[in-house]
Amino acid sequence: MVFLRSEEHLVRWLDANGWEPGATLTAAKMNEVSRAWWESRLDPGWRPRTTQESQAILDSAGLTDDFWQLG
Amino acid sequence: MYFSIVANGRPPTADDTATAFALPVPEVEECYRRLHEAHALVLHPDSVDIRFANPFCFAPTPHRVKAGGRTWTGTCAWDALGIPAALHTDGKIDSECACCREPVGLRLEDGDLVEGADLLVHILVPARRWWDDIGFT
Repeated sequence: MVFLRSEEHLVRWLDANGWEPGATLTAAKMNEVSRAWWESRLDPGWRPRTTQESQAILDSAGLTDDFWQLG
Repeated sequence: MYFSIVANGRPPTADDTATAFALPVPEVEECYRRLHEAHALVLHPDSVDIRFANPFCFAPTPHRVKAGGRTWTGTCAWDALGIPAALHTDGKIDSECACCREPVGLRLEDGDLVEGADLLVHILVPARRWWDDIGFT
């Protein structure tokens, strides 16, 4: 999960490594997902999420296609 | 474990934890291994030293995160953004473009990206395979 400066750099990076594209988000969208994913991690009552709970975070960010299915 | 990480800026060793809880070191080491197997943390290979306690990373990556009065290392782009979120604080991320290795910077205020919002994040591995090789993911 890497940062890239632009779509052009993404294509060049994939080509250079011979990798098929996965999923691309803007950093702003990634931040929205990351915040929901991690913001409770240091809470005293934290407990591991179920797969369904993690999936709900992705779903609520609109990441619903097959690439984003955890199970 | 996470309270120790935030307090000390590093993960507790098995010896640290054994001392803190007055437990035998082998018992704590076994606990660490079970946490690794449950994907609650990631150990260095053939070791009980903690490599990832996501979103915090204790091995070199390009993702440096200034937040909460310390400079942390993010496991990946996702986790670099997650460190200020976990700490509930503003943050600054100094990283690099995976293609050209030029520096990229991001800054978070009140949970929002106020610098670097137009950068891209690419995820190569489909979600169901993230833990096949979490280091690569």
